[in-house]
Formats: sequence, structure tokens, C-alpha cells
Amino acid sequence: MAIAGVYQSGQVSRKRVLPGVPEFVVQSSKGSLVTAALPILMTVVVLLVPVIAPHSPLVPAGPAFVPPGHGGFLLGTDSVGRDELSRVLYGMRTSWFSALAVIASGLVIGITVGAVAAVAGGWVDALLMRITDVFLSLPGPVLAIAVVSALGPGLVHTLIGVGIVWWPFYARIVRGEIRALAARPHLEAAKMSGVGPIRRTVRHLLPGALPALVVTASLDIGNLVLTLAGLSFLGLGAPAPAPELGAMSARNLTFLLQDYWTAVAPGVGILVLALVGNMAGDGLRNLMKDR
Amino acid sequence: MMDQMRLIRQRQSGSRKTTSERGMAIPGSPDTLVAAVHALKVTFERAGTRIFALRGVDLEIAPSEIVALVGESGSGKSVLGLSLLGLLGHNSKPEIEGEIEVVGAQIGSLSEPQLRRLRRESLGAVFQDPMTSLNPTMRIGKQLAEVAGSAEACIDLLRSVGIPDPARRLSAYPFELSGGLRQRVMIAMALAGSPKLIVADEPTTALDVTVQAQILELIRSVRDRFGTSLLLITHDLGVAATVADRVVVMYGGRVVETGRAESLLREPKHPYTRALLRSRATLDASGPRRLTMLRGEGVDSRSEEPGCSFAPRCELAFDGCAVTPELEIAGDHRVACWRAESAPGPEADPLVHAPPVVAVSKGLSSVRINDVAVSFKVGRGGSQGTLKALRGVTLDIEPGGALAIVGESGSGKSTLLRAIAGLAPVASGGVDISGAGKVQMVFQDAGASLTPWMSVEELLEERLIACGVRDRKERHRRILEACDSVGLYQQLLPAKAGQLSGGQRQRAALARAVVVAPEVLLCDEPTSALDVSLAAIVLNLIADLRERLGMTLLFVTHDLAVARVVADHVAVMYLGEIVEVGTTEQILNDPRHPYTKSLIAAVPESGHLPVPLKGEPASPLSIPSGCSFHPRCPSARSSCGETSQILKVSPLSRGHFIRCEPVVEELTWR
Amino acid sequence: MGLFILRRLVSALGVIIALTVVVFILQKISHTSPVHALLGPGASQAAIHAETIKLGLNKPLLTQFLHYLDGLIHGNLGISYRTRRPVTADLIEFLPATVELALVALILAIGLGALFGLLAVRGGAAARIFQVVMLLGASTPGYLVAFAGLVFLYSHLHILPATGEASPSGQFQTGFVIADNLIAGDLGGAWDGLVHAILPALSIALVPAVSIGRVFKSSLEGTLRSDYVRTARAKGLSERRVIAFHAIRNSVSPALTMTGLQLGLMFAGVAVVEEIFAWPGIGYYTAQAIPVSDFPAISGVTLVLGVGYVLINALVDIAQSLADPRIKL
Repeated sequence: MAIAGVYQSGQVSRKRVLPGVPEFVVQSSKGSLVTAALPILMTVVVLLVPVIAPHSPLVPAGPAFVPPGHGGFLLGTDSVGRDELSRVLYGMRTSWFSALAVIASGLVIGITVGAVAAVAGGWVDALLMRITDVFLSLPGPVLAIAVVSALGPGLVHTLIGVGIVWWPFYARIVRGEIRALAARPHLEAAKMSGVGPIRRTVRHLLPGALPALVVTASLDIGNLVLTLAGLSFLGLGAPAPAPELGAMSARNLTFLLQDYWTAVAPGVGILVLALVGNMAGDGLRNLMKDR
Repeated sequence: MMDQMRLIRQRQSGSRKTTSERGMAIPGSPDTLVAAVHALKVTFERAGTRIFALRGVDLEIAPSEIVALVGESGSGKSVLGLSLLGLLGHNSKPEIEGEIEVVGAQIGSLSEPQLRRLRRESLGAVFQDPMTSLNPTMRIGKQLAEVAGSAEACIDLLRSVGIPDPARRLSAYPFELSGGLRQRVMIAMALAGSPKLIVADEPTTALDVTVQAQILELIRSVRDRFGTSLLLITHDLGVAATVADRVVVMYGGRVVETGRAESLLREPKHPYTRALLRSRATLDASGPRRLTMLRGEGVDSRSEEPGCSFAPRCELAFDGCAVTPELEIAGDHRVACWRAESAPGPEADPLVHAPPVVAVSKGLSSVRINDVAVSFKVGRGGSQGTLKALRGVTLDIEPGGALAIVGESGSGKSTLLRAIAGLAPVASGGVDISGAGKVQMVFQDAGASLTPWMSVEELLEERLIACGVRDRKERHRRILEACDSVGLYQQLLPAKAGQLSGGQRQRAALARAVVVAPEVLLCDEPTSALDVSLAAIVLNLIADLRERLGMTLLFVTHDLAVARVVADHVAVMYLGEIVEVGTTEQILNDPRHPYTKSLIAAVPESGHLPVPLKGEPASPLSIPSGCSFHPRCPSARSSCGETSQILKVSPLSRGHFIRCEPVVEELTWR
Repeated sequence: MGLFILRRLVSALGVIIALTVVVFILQKISHTSPVHALLGPGASQAAIHAETIKLGLNKPLLTQFLHYLDGLIHGNLGISYRTRRPVTADLIEFLPATVELALVALILAIGLGALFGLLAVRGGAAARIFQVVMLLGASTPGYLVAFAGLVFLYSHLHILPATGEASPSGQFQTGFVIADNLIAGDLGGAWDGLVHAILPALSIALVPAVSIGRVFKSSLEGTLRSDYVRTARAKGLSERRVIAFHAIRNSVSPALTMTGLQLGLMFAGVAVVEEIFAWPGIGYYTAQAIPVSDFPAISGVTLVLGVGYVLINALVDIAQSLADPRIKL
């Protein structure tokens, strides 16, 4: 010890660190952790759909309108005798990946635009934020409908339409978080240590913006699944035989009062996906709040 | 102990004898007490861990008595204050044992409506930060009227706490008032309904020293005029000494010592109280020196071990300390310590006075600041203005010298440091540092200056890489060396800022600053957020490093006592200008500029009731004409508002500069 | 103050102009040519040529855009391919029903969101149950809520009506059924309109309600931990007064912003629900237009809703700045 009379405990105070485990994981409730991990589980499940699904989603497997639980059809069959369960599972697969694709592209564009704007400042910041504001100020689903009806129907066009309006949220968050972080002394300390601007951004700023982004993005999964289902209900998704949950409910609306399951089961599929997204978002937020 | 002696002498000979004359310091019989707390235990649960905030506390407050509750963070002083107000249960549900009797009512047995009535009719509260403690979107008048009733009553209250033009203030929002006025509003609100007891939790900590003196004076006068009892919670023994009749010292959730203010401060019996008194930086010590340090850091509120909480840090600890000591009468006060009697008196304590720091002159580095001005554009649109943070500062700092820059908020002291560090845009003038690039800075909030998601090791290594140390082994060696030199355990290298204690954070920040030895070390109030015992450790560490590495030190502080301890020269700043600069002796013992004089007179620790300077620092947005200090200057002449002053050398000493023509003139003719 | 409002309105105007550019570009890259759509598949080459010139489609892009803007300013949104009527006339007919539905839904969403936040802060078993129910509701696609309502409340219990905006006997003046009946003093008629609106509105309102509620909750939690709420409690104010006078006002701002944003996201739900309930609004109109790629109709809807959305958000901002004395304007 270099300085006489100075004593301190050698242990890390207050919190115990486990190697490799983020600190917030250790001290937060198990419930939040489980719900936060749900999207990973969901992704595994939808990846396995071709293995799990008992029948083809496109080819009739029995008589039409078999009620749920009869004839080996857990969710019954639809108007042409296709297995409802298989169709719902494939539909969930499409919906889940669609939502993730929009969020992923939104994150990539949002982080790039937000980080560049926050770090560059000046006119670059002003320009990028004006563009962001324009897209942020447009009503998302309406613009998506316009884009799809201009480009023609199809899943990819729908995703483009929604994706165009989805990234500005993330750009705003990233820019806001980075600007707030940049006002903290740790950035000035890094500057005084001689750390260059690129490393400062990547190592000292961006990691701090991620928690808020992750929470927002996970809360968005639910909203996005529902928005896409709504658009699909209006006929904006993949064309007819494809198993799309929103479109299935729309087409089977006429059978609602007699053979309710054909219209309801796809809706329940959406419900499961959106619930996973919402629970994960709330769980993650609790985890971050504990930190 | 010099400071204590002087403190007592002045108290006894001074103007205030009210306390002893009225004999109010001695707790009265139980039925006349304003508050009586008995065997109070409060336990919180946080993230699955039990936090023992109070471990059995007794406290009595007599009518018209000012009791100061002194302690460091984790002592439980604020929890005790909140439990007197019956406000404990609101945000976390604690377990409460023991009795709290306030104004004749048992807090524990009251229903929530009864509690509210008690608070409304008999209690008042003042909290630390008047900015956040007032509702930002509600007019002052409405916030007051919630407790005072009519507008007339509000105006009377505002007038009684010395707010000028009270009728007009009713329609103001809190953000439109200065810090001092806001705290006066808080006190007015606490006074509404003529309460028997006001709990004031660190009421002056967020304020400038001259404003602090005004508020302390107001607190005394409130007691004298209305006969209100006050529980004054503070970490600052100086504040306690100036206003309190009785002092209660807390440590680790227990009262360790209590007694009449003068007797307790003259003859502290508990080892903790003594250590606390000794580790304070004080104004009247002579020259740069090392402070006495307590070993260890803070208290572990989670510990379920019985016994004296202070034992792990106590030099007198023995096996018997495993049994919790009760408060016993010792002389004319009470102390909870098995060895209070056997303890040596304060004078007999070996003081760890290190030799004064000698300036290591290498003749290479110096900082030359030439007429530096910094201004910022603030606001937008119609309310745009220019904030003149620095208005032409010239300084020349000797190699190896230590300069303290003192001033109140808005004086530009931090901006000056940032301009030297290259972090603030210099509008005109220049900063010349030989050995450029060798400036390092220690920030006020060490925790915030460490990137939260990076480990200490990563942060140190990053600086070494930036300074061109290529070899990995060499880097590792120097990291370990730096840890050693700041007393940071190597096991802490993989830890991140959030896992470190306050002291460890400041050590880590220092380790980064010296892992490549800088020529100049800039310190921006590095101890102002720390507890007294921790501040002593950090100040000593900085002095050690400076000595060993031969660094030039620039130390910004609002605390004159700290300046005394670390620096050989002091520059006093006011509104972006240096008003006086000289050796520490000259500035602190023989101040000449009226502002420096008022600043020193306002420091509460000198034992007398501080002499407040009128008004509050003007905003750097609208600087007064002429001498910028003239609106507050006790000896201003009519010409002071017209002619601006320049920094002139004192006729008495060549190294002493004063920005006040009348003073220099007077000295010349004497 | 005036300056801030002016600035906010100018920026709203900028966004609206950008919106017209986006719609114009979409129109240009649209896969259905307006000429073919209007003339039908069997049109002669000469007719196509004539129509192209008539529509000005042979002129430079900028001229076309200015021509398009000029049309917009004069209320000309083009001719619908499907109804063969001016889009403007169609929208005037369909808009009131949607505005009425959206308003009822918005009031429901704000009410439920506020309840969500307040209950969450209060805690307790009832609050938790309400939270779970709301979370389930917010994860349910609007059409499923509508289905459930139709199957149980209409088909089985006959409590609520199935479709339409009002019972056939109701009287209309401007298309705002509830407002018209209220003005006419026909409380029964207004009630009938409200009863018709309740199920579709609820189907739309649940998702935004939870989004608003979440934001309100965390903002309220922050406020309740603040120093000034502690001061208010120390003053001996009742908890109800603390929340009503000190906490809520300082917590609504983020929730208001979220409400403005949710308004934009609501439209997919509006279109779906109008389609299911045969609600004569522009969602229904849009749903009819989508399968036949009726681009003029859709672009008209986009412009009208976009402008409304932009203006509402500008108003939200201005309202917030008026409510916060700290923003000096």
C-alpha cells in the first residue's frame, strides 16, 4: 500500500459480480427474466413450425368445417378442409418474422441516423432530424396502405410500407440518449484520456443508448404484430392461399356465427404473439428499471 | 484542537447567550417535550436485502430547542427526520419498532388522516433542494395557500421569512426565484399554521456559502421569534455548531453521542465524533497539510451483527465492542462507547500531520492563462442572451504550484478549469501549457466520469493506448502501478463504476489520471459530494500524488477550508473575474477585497453566527455595470457602479492582487 | 408564446408539404396507370393518348406536381376508380362517421389509460387484475375483440347492436349521429348512436389505452417519488389532493405525447373495425378501395388523415407548452 493510513476493503462493495453475467440479471426478479426471454422461445418455436405442424397449410387434409378436437384436428378444418392448426402455426411464423424484420430494419436505420445526427451535430443533425420528424409526423398505417396500393399487394411491400414509418422512433431515441450521455462527464473524461471520436462513440456512447432502445423495440413487437395483422385483414399481405392470420380471419368472417373457429383461431394466434411481445417488453423494462 | 477551542471561545464570548440563559438545551420532563423517540428501529427491504436504517434510537426535542442531527450518509439521520414527520411508509414499506411521540401523539397509533392533521397543524418540513422540493408548475401563492389559507396569511408568511415584495411573489413560479428565495419560501411553508416542530433536512447544502449564512440566520430568528423547535439534519459540523443548542451525532443507525453543542464540540467523547472533527478541513489550520483519516469507508447498513457499528473503523475497538453500547452519561453529555472514559482527550490524540507539500520545481511545466474569455449563447428566440462565464482571466502558475480557485455558483471557476482542459470554447485570449497534452482532470462526480459499462481496467488501458503504450505487458505493469499509487485494490480492476463505493470511484478516476503522469492536474470540486471522512482521504491522496509526481495542481472549490488544505495560492472569483489572488495565507488570513472578506465571514465553522452578505450572486447573464460586486458590497461608494475595476498589485505584497481601487488606495496611503 | 405557436405551425406545414410530395411520388410509381384505370382495358390507343394529354401526364414532373398541388388547394383529390365520383365528395360523405368513431375510441383510450396508470400506482389486487385484463386486451387484434363482441353480446345476449352507425330510424344532419341527435334534443337517438359506437370503439381503443397507460404510469411513478410530492405530503395534504393537484399535472405531458402518436397508429384498427361493423366511415371506404387498387381514393384518404394527424400533434405540443410555465415562449 502506497499511502500510509489508508484502509479499504478489497471486495467489490454492495453487489456481487458473477463472471459473464450482467449485473442486472443477478439482482432482478426471476419473473421479469423469464418474460424477457419469451421472444427467444417464440423464435425457436416458429423456426420449428415445419416440424411441429401436423399437416400442410395449403393442401386440404379432411372434410370442410370439422369442429375443433374432432377427427384429429385440434383446431378443426376450414372451409376447404385444410388443417386450421397448421395454417395458424405457419401464419404465426410469417407474422413473427415480419414483425422482427421491421424492427430489425428499423433499428439498423434508426441507430445509424440517430448516432450520426447526435455525434455530428450542426447542420447534419438538423437535416437528419428534420427528415426524421417528417416521417415521425406521418400516420404509419395510412402511409403503409398508400405505399402498398402504389406498389401492389404483397407481404414485402407491406413491410416496406410499415418499415418506412417505423425507424424514426428509434432514431429519436438513439439521438436523445446519446445527447444526454454526451453531456455526462464520462465523455469528457474519455476525451481527456486521448480517446478518438469514433471509439468514443462506439465504446462510450452507444452502449448507453441500447437499454432504452431494447425496451422500446420489445414493446413494439406487440404493436407491430397487431398493426400488420390489421393490414393483412384489409388484404394487404401475401395473396390468397398463403396462410396469413389477418387475411384468414377476414375471409372467414362470413362463417363467424356458425363455424366460429375458422375466424377466431387465427386471431388467437395473433393474440399469442402480441402477448409475448407485450410481456417481454414489460419484463425487460422492469429489468432495466432495477438496474 | 485549535478550531474547537476557538469555536467555543467565540460561542461563549459571542453575542448569543440566549440558549444558556433560557436553559432550553436541557430536555424537559417528558410531558413538555415536543418530540420523544424511544428505541426506534427502522428496517427497509431493498432487492431482497434488509437494510437496517435505524437500530434503536432515542431522541428528545424540547420546546424552542434547535437540535442538530449530524451524521454521514448511511447514518440514518434522514430516516429519523422522516419518521418524526410520519412520512416513512410512502415509497417503501418499512418495519418500524419503538415509539415516536410528536407533540403528544404516538405516530405509530395514528391513522393516516390523523397523521395528516398532525403534519398540517403541528409540524413543518424543509428539504435539501428547494428547486425540486417545490412543485414546478404551481404558483408560489397556491402552494402556500394549501397550508396557510388566505392570501393575506401567505403574504404575512413570506414577509416573516424576509422575502421582499411578498404580494408580487405570490404569482411567481418556483423557477422564477433564486435559490435562496426558494428556500425562504420552503421555510415560510413550513411555518404555516405555527407548527411546534420543523424538521429541516440539509436545508443549506444546495446553497452558496453566502446564501447559506442568510438561511442559517433566518432559522435562528424563526426559533427566537416563534418559539418553534427545530430538528436540523446536516452532515456539516460547522453548520451544527453555529445554530444548534444541542447536537446529536449518529453513526450506523444509532446515536453515538449527544450533548449541548458547545460541550460536545469542545470535548467530544466518542471516537467517531472526534475523528469527524479532526478529519474536517478547517479554515484556521496553517498551510497545506494532510487531514486525519478514518480507516475504511462508510457503514454497512446490511450488517446484522450486533455491537457498535463504528467498531470496524475505530482505533480503540476491543472485544467488548461486540456488545452494543448504550448511551451513558459522561460528563455533561451522553455517549455510547465502552471506551469513552479510557479514551485520550482530543489534544492528546496523535495528529497525522504530514509535512507541508513542497513545490517540486522542475522548471519545465507551467500554466499560463492570458486574458481568457468564455461566453455561451443561451435561450432561443426572443429570450436569447449571452452568458459571460469568463471575462478576461489572466493567471500564471508556477511549475509544481498548487492554486485553489474559489467562488460561488456563477463565478466561472469551473469554466476556467474547463477552458484550461480544452473542454470549453475559448472566445478570446489563450491558454498556454508547456508539456501540452499532459493535462488531466478529476471531476466532481467521480462515478459519472467513469463510463458505466466499462471496467476500471478497460478505462486505464484505453488511456495508455491513447498515449502510445503499445506493449501489453508494459500496459499491465503500469496499470498495477497506478492502482498501487492511488490505493486501489487490484481485485477491483474488472469492476465497473456501479459496483464501486464512492471512495473507490474517486480512486479509480485518479488512477486513470495518473497512469500516465500528467504535468498539470485539474480538480473540479472532487470532494464536494463526499462525506467528511471520505473527503479527507481523497484530499490527502491528491496531495500525495502531487508531491510524488511533481504535478502542478489547479483545484476548484466552493469551500475555503478545502482551499486552505490543498493550495499554496488562492484565486477568488466573482462573476467571471478574479477579484483577489495571492498566497493562501494572504487570502485567508488577511483578505482585502470586500467580497473575499464577506466570503470568509460567511463560513459557518468559524464559531460565530456567520455574517451574511446581502443578496445573491448576480446572474452571469446580466452582469452589473462598473465593479460587478458593487450591488452587494458592504463598503461600496457611489462611483463603484460606474468605473470597472482592474486587478492591481497590493502595496503590501508583490504577490497579492486585488480588484478594488478603493482598497488599494487605502492601503497605499496607510 | 406567439412565436412558439407560429414556429410549430410552420413546421406542421412543412410536414404537410412533405406528405404531398410522398403521395405524389407514390402516385408516379403506382403500378396502375390512371389512364388505364379510368378508360378500362379495352380503350383505343388514340383515346389513351388523348386522356394522357388531358390529365397533363406528358408534362415535366415539376409541372405535374405544381398542377397536383394546385388541385389539392382547390379541394380536388381526383376521381375514384371505383365509385367514379370525385374523391373529395366521397370523403365528405364518409369522414364524419370516422371522426365520431375515433373520438369515442379516443375518449375510451384516454379514460382506460388514465385508469390503468392510476390503478397501477395505487397497487393492490384489483389493480393487478385490471392490468392483466388490459394487457390481454392490448394483445388482442381489434377484429378478435369485435368477433367476441358480436358472438356474445349481439348473437347470444342481444345486448348490443351488430352493425351500422345507428338504428335505421335515426335522424342525420351532418353525419355525426351522436352530435346531430344531441343538437336535435333527441337523447334517445344520441344514446342509440353511442350504443352502436361502443363495441367498435372498444375494439380500437384497447391497444392505445395500454400504450398511454404505460407511459402515464411510469411518469406518475416518477412524479410520486419527487421531492415536491414529499413536500406536499409533509404539508399534511390528503393523498387524493396530492395526486390530483401535485402529481397528475406534472405527469400528463408524456402521456399526451403518446396519445398523439397513438392516434396515427389507430387507423389500421379503424379500417378493420369499420369493415366488420359496416360502419360508413373512411376506414370502410379504404377497405373497399384496397382490393381494387383505387389509388386516388387511397391517396385522398392518406392526405386527409395525414393532415389531420399532423395538426392534432401540433395542437398537442402547443397545449403542453401552454400548460408548462417553465417553457418561456
